[in-house]
Amino acid sequence: MKWIAVGRRPTITAGLIVVAVMITSLVASSVRDGVAVGVALALAIAGGATLTTAGLREAHPVLARATLTVVVLDVALFATYFFSSVTNFNLAIGAAMSITLLGLSFLTGASGQISLGNSAFMGVGALAVAIWANHHSSTPMVATLLLAVACGAFVGLLLGLPATRLRGPYLAGMTLAFAVAFSAIVNSFTSWTGGDAGLQLPTAVTPPGWLSSLFNAQTPLLRVNTMWLADITIIVTGVAFFFMANLFASRIGRAMRLVRDNDVAAELVGVSLSRARVIAFMVSSAYAALGGALWTLINNSVSPPTFSLALSITILSLVVIGGIGTISGALIGGVIYAYSTNVISWFTQHAGINSQGNLASQLPGIVFGGLLILTMLFAPMGIAGAVRRLWARRRD
Amino acid sequence: MDAFLTSRIISDILGGLTNGVIYGLVALSLVLVWRSTGILNFAQGAMPMIATYLGMVVFAHRFGYWPLVAIAIVAGFSVGGVTERVLVRHLYGKPEINPIVVMVGFLIVLEGVAAAIWSTSPRGIPNPFSPIDWQLGGKPIALSPFGVYEIVTALVVMISVAVLFRFTKLGLQLRASALAPEVSRLLGVRVSRMLTLGWVLSTGVGTICTVLVASNFFTGLTPQVMDGIFAFGFIAAAVGGLDSPVGAIVAGVSIGIVLQFVGDFVNSNAIIITALVILILSLMVRPNGLFTKNTARRV
Amino acid sequence: MSKTYARRFVTTSAALLLCTGLVMAGGSIVTAGAATHTPGVTAKQITIGATVPLTGIASPGYSEVAKAADAVFMYVNSKGGVNGRKIKYILKDDCYGTPGFGCTGTPSTVTQTHALLSAPVFATVGSLGTPTQDSVRSLLKSNGVPQLFVNSGSRDWNNPTLYPGLFGWQTSYNEESKIFAKYISATYPTANVCFLGQGDDFGSDGLAGLVAGGVTPSDTQLYSVGALVVTQGTSIAPYIARFQTDKCTVVVLDTIPGATDAALGAALQLGFSPHWVISSVGSDPVTVFAPLAAKGLTADPEVGAVSFSFLPTAGSSSAWIPWMRKVLTKDTSQFPGFSSTTTLDGNMEYGIGWGVAFVEALKASGKNITRASFLKVLTHTTFSQTPSLTPLRYTATDHQGLNGGYLVTVTSATSAKPIDGKIYTTDSSSTGPVISAKKLSRGIPSWLK
Repeated sequence: MKWIAVGRRPTITAGLIVVAVMITSLVASSVRDGVAVGVALALAIAGGATLTTAGLREAHPVLARATLTVVVLDVALFATYFFSSVTNFNLAIGAAMSITLLGLSFLTGASGQISLGNSAFMGVGALAVAIWANHHSSTPMVATLLLAVACGAFVGLLLGLPATRLRGPYLAGMTLAFAVAFSAIVNSFTSWTGGDAGLQLPTAVTPPGWLSSLFNAQTPLLRVNTMWLADITIIVTGVAFFFMANLFASRIGRAMRLVRDNDVAAELVGVSLSRARVIAFMVSSAYAALGGALWTLINNSVSPPTFSLALSITILSLVVIGGIGTISGALIGGVIYAYSTNVISWFTQHAGINSQGNLASQLPGIVFGGLLILTMLFAPMGIAGAVRRLWARRRD
Repeated sequence: MDAFLTSRIISDILGGLTNGVIYGLVALSLVLVWRSTGILNFAQGAMPMIATYLGMVVFAHRFGYWPLVAIAIVAGFSVGGVTERVLVRHLYGKPEINPIVVMVGFLIVLEGVAAAIWSTSPRGIPNPFSPIDWQLGGKPIALSPFGVYEIVTALVVMISVAVLFRFTKLGLQLRASALAPEVSRLLGVRVSRMLTLGWVLSTGVGTICTVLVASNFFTGLTPQVMDGIFAFGFIAAAVGGLDSPVGAIVAGVSIGIVLQFVGDFVNSNAIIITALVILILSLMVRPNGLFTKNTARRV
Repeated sequence: MSKTYARRFVTTSAALLLCTGLVMAGGSIVTAGAATHTPGVTAKQITIGATVPLTGIASPGYSEVAKAADAVFMYVNSKGGVNGRKIKYILKDDCYGTPGFGCTGTPSTVTQTHALLSAPVFATVGSLGTPTQDSVRSLLKSNGVPQLFVNSGSRDWNNPTLYPGLFGWQTSYNEESKIFAKYISATYPTANVCFLGQGDDFGSDGLAGLVAGGVTPSDTQLYSVGALVVTQGTSIAPYIARFQTDKCTVVVLDTIPGATDAALGAALQLGFSPHWVISSVGSDPVTVFAPLAAKGLTADPEVGAVSFSFLPTAGSSSAWIPWMRKVLTKDTSQFPGFSSTTTLDGNMEYGIGWGVAFVEALKASGKNITRASFLKVLTHTTFSQTPSLTPLRYTATDHQGLNGGYLVTVTSATSAKPIDGKIYTTDSSSTGPVISAKKLSRGIPSWLK
C-alpha cells in the first residue's frame, strides 16, 4: 500500500503551487484576497495529502470522506471571512445550486434517467420554506430545511411513480411538462404561494451575536450577513455532498449503476427496477428542493417565475459541463453558475460588444448551449471526466 | 342554426380544432424524426423557427406571402438536412441521454442566435387571410378565414405525409430503413440518405407549422414562438405514441379541443395543468403511447 | 491502488483550484471602488443604480424608462452636475424576475441588487416592478440604502414605519382606479364592468380602488405573468372570451403593455368591442401599438380607450414637453437617433419625470450630503417644479408620491389627449374623495433650462 507514486509527488505539489501563485497574482485584487487564496490552497493541498496517505480511504472509506468534507468545509468557511460580500453572495447562490446539480447528476449518472423538471423541484423547496416560515416563523432553520427536503421528496415520489415505467425521452418530456406547468400550479394556489409575486421571509437570516462581535464596528453589516449566509450554505452543501458520496459508493448506488448500464441484467440479479428508479428520482428532487430552499434563505424571498424551464435547462447544462455522475462535476457546475455571468459580462465589455444590445443579452444562452453541445460530443463526462482522462493519459 | 353555431360548445370545438391541428403537426414532425432515427428532437420548435426567419429576411424585400412560405420551407428542408449531417450523425448508437442533451443545447443556441440577430420583439407576417372570427347575428363563431386556412393546410400536410409513406417507393424505403436498417442496406436501400431524409421531412413539416403559427396575427414571429406549442406538441406525441403518426395527429387534435374546453370552463392556469395530468395518466396506462403497437424490447 | 488516490487527489485539488480561482475572479471584477464617508458619494461624483427589465417580457417600453432618466442625469452633468457632483447611474438587468429564453442566465433582482450594493451606490433610484422590488426591500433596508422612486404604483412603497428609506413615485394603482371609478360611474352608469388585472399588487390594489370608488366589477380575472411568458401572451385570450360571454360593456385592464396587447388582440379576433379603461402603466399608445404594427395591423384597436396620466401628454402645451425632447436629443448614448420627429412616448416621459425629481431633491440637499440628510430633505420639501401634473410631496408618514393626474383618451397609435383637462387628486384610503383641482405644478426651474 504505497500512498502515491513517490517520484511524482513533488512534481504535483510544485505544479499546484505554481498554478496557485499564477492565479493569485492574476486575479486577486487586494492583498487580503491573495492571502485567502494562498491559505485556502495550502489547506487544500495539506488535506489532499493527508487523505492520500496511510491507506485511509481503503480501510475506512466513510471516515476518509468525512475528513475530506471537513477539510474542504474548513477551507471554504475560512475563505468567506476574507471575501467581499458580492463574492460571498455568489458563492452562496452557487453552492446551493451545486446541491441541485448533485441531485440531477445522481439521477442521470447513477440511474441513467434524465429530468428537465428540476427547476420545478427547486421551486417546491423554495416555496415550502417560505410558506412554512410565514406561518411558523419560530421554527429552527434546520427543521425548515428538512421540511423542504421532505416536500421535494414527496413531490418527487408523486412524479416518480409514473416515471418508473418510462424510458429516457418520455421521462424527459414528462418532466419538461412539469417544469412548464409549475408556474400555473403556483398560480392556482395564490393564497398560499403568493402567485407570481412570491413570498418574503418574515425575518432575515442573520448571524448570531458572537459572530458579529468578531468584526470591528466599521465592517459593513452586509459583509457580515452575507458571510453568514455563505457559511450556512457551505455547511449544508458539505453535508449534502457527504451523504451523496456515500450513496454513490453504497449498495444502492451500485445497483443503480447496473440499472443504468443494463436494466435487464439488473432485474436478473434481483434489483427492483421500479424501486431503484423511484428512489433515484426522489433523491434528485429532494436535493433540488434543498437547493431551492437555500436560495429562499439567501434571497430572503422567493420569486416563483425564477423556477422556469429555462432554469431546468441551465441545470442540465451545468451538470453535463461539470461532469455527469461525478461529485466534483457538481461542484464545478456550481462555481460556473455563480461566476459565469461576471466572466461573460467582463468578456462583453472587453470585446467591445454593446452591453445593452441583443447579442450581449443572448450571449450567456449561446455560450451555455454551445458548451453543452461541445461537451456532449467531445467530452461526454464533462470537465471532471476530461481532467481525469488527461491525468490517466499522462501517467501511462 | 345561428344560435347553435355560436354556442359555447361549438365555439370551443372549433377553437380547439384550430389549436389542435397545430399541436398535431408538431407531434407529427416529432414522430417523423423519432421513427427514422430514434431521437426525440427538443430543437423541433427552434429549427423551423430559424427557417421561418430566413423566409422573413427574404420577405423584407417585399416578395409577398407565398414566396415567403416557399423560401421558409426550402430553408426548413436545408436546416433539417444540415443538422442531421453535421450534428445528429455523431449521436447514433450513443446512450439515450446524449441526443436529448445535445438537442436541448441546440435549442438554446438557435433561440439565442435568432434573438441576437432579430431581437425578441415579435414580427408579423401579413397574410392573405383575415384573423377576425366570422360573425353570425352579432356573435363570433370561433372560426376565421385564417383558421380555415390553418386547418386545410394541416390536413394537406398530413395527407401528403400519409401518401408518401403508404404509396410511394421512397416511403417504403424510409419505413424499411427505420425498421430494419441492416436488412434494408443489404437490399440496396441507401439507409444513411434515408436518415437524413427523415430529418428533412420532419423539419419541413415543422416549418409549415411554424409559418402557420407565425402568420397568426395574435402570435407573430419571435425566437421563442414555438416553446409553448412544442410542449403541447410533445404531450400529443407522447400520448399518441412517438412512433405513431396517426396517434400524433389524433392526440394533437383531441388535446387541443379538451384544453379549449378547460380554458373556457375553468381558467387559463388549468390548461397546462390539465395537459400535464393527461400526459401522466396516459403514460401510466400505456408507457409507450396509446397508439403504439406493443412490441417487446430487445435486450 | 495508489494511482487511484493520486488521481482523486489531483482531481479534487484541481476542482478546488478552479473554485477558488473563479471565486477570486468574480470578486475582483466587482469589488473595485473606494470607500468614502457616505457610500457612493465622492467630491466629484454621486453613484446611484437601479434594477430594470432591459430584456424579457416586460422590456418592451419599460426598458426605456431608466434610460430616459439617465438622459436627464447626463443633461445635468453636461451643465456641471448637481452641487459640483456628476451623477453616475448604473443599470442592472433583472428580466422583471421572469427569466425565460429571452434572457437566459440573467441574474435575479436580489443578485443584481447585491452588485449595486458593492458598487457602492448612494441609493437605488427608479428600480422597476412590484414583486422584484418587494423582494429587495429588507436587503436595502438592512444596509441603510435608500430605495427611491420605485417604478410601480403599488402601495407597498408607502410603509415609512417599517421601511423608512423606501419611496414610491407615481400615483398609486389604487388612487388611479378610484379616479377611473368616478369616471366610469359618471359616464357609463348602467355599464356591466369587468376587470382583468395582473396577479399581484398591481391587480389587487387596482381592484380595491375600483371598489372603493363605487364600481364593483361583475367579473374579475387575474392573469399570471409566468403563464404570459410561457404562452407568448395567448394565455390572455380565454379571459377576454369570457368577458364577451358575460356581455361586459366596460373592461378595466390593470395590465403591463405585453398583456394589454394580448387582450386587445383577442378582443379583435372575437369581434368584441367594449369600452376599454386601461391603467397608466399598460396603456402607452406607442408601446402598445408597436408590436401590433410589427405584426401587420394598420388600425390601432386601442384608439378610444380611456387611461390616466400623471404627466402632461406629449401633445399638450406644457413647457416640459419641448424640454424633454431637448434632453433626449442631446443624449446620444441612450436614445441614438432621437430627433425632432421621433415620438416622445409615455415611458420616456415617465423616466424623465422622476429623473427630474431626483436631481431637484439632490440639489435641495446641498453640498454636504448624507443619506440621512437627503431623506430629511425629501420628506420636508414639496417639489412643484417637476414634470408631473401634481406636486411631488412626501411626508414622514406618507412615502407614496404623486396623488393625482388627468384622464386621457387614446387618439391615435402615437398619442393620447386629456379628456377634460381636469386634474383629479385623491388618497389611498377607502373613503378619501376624488377631488378635481386646477393646475397644480409650476414650470421648469431655471437652473435646468
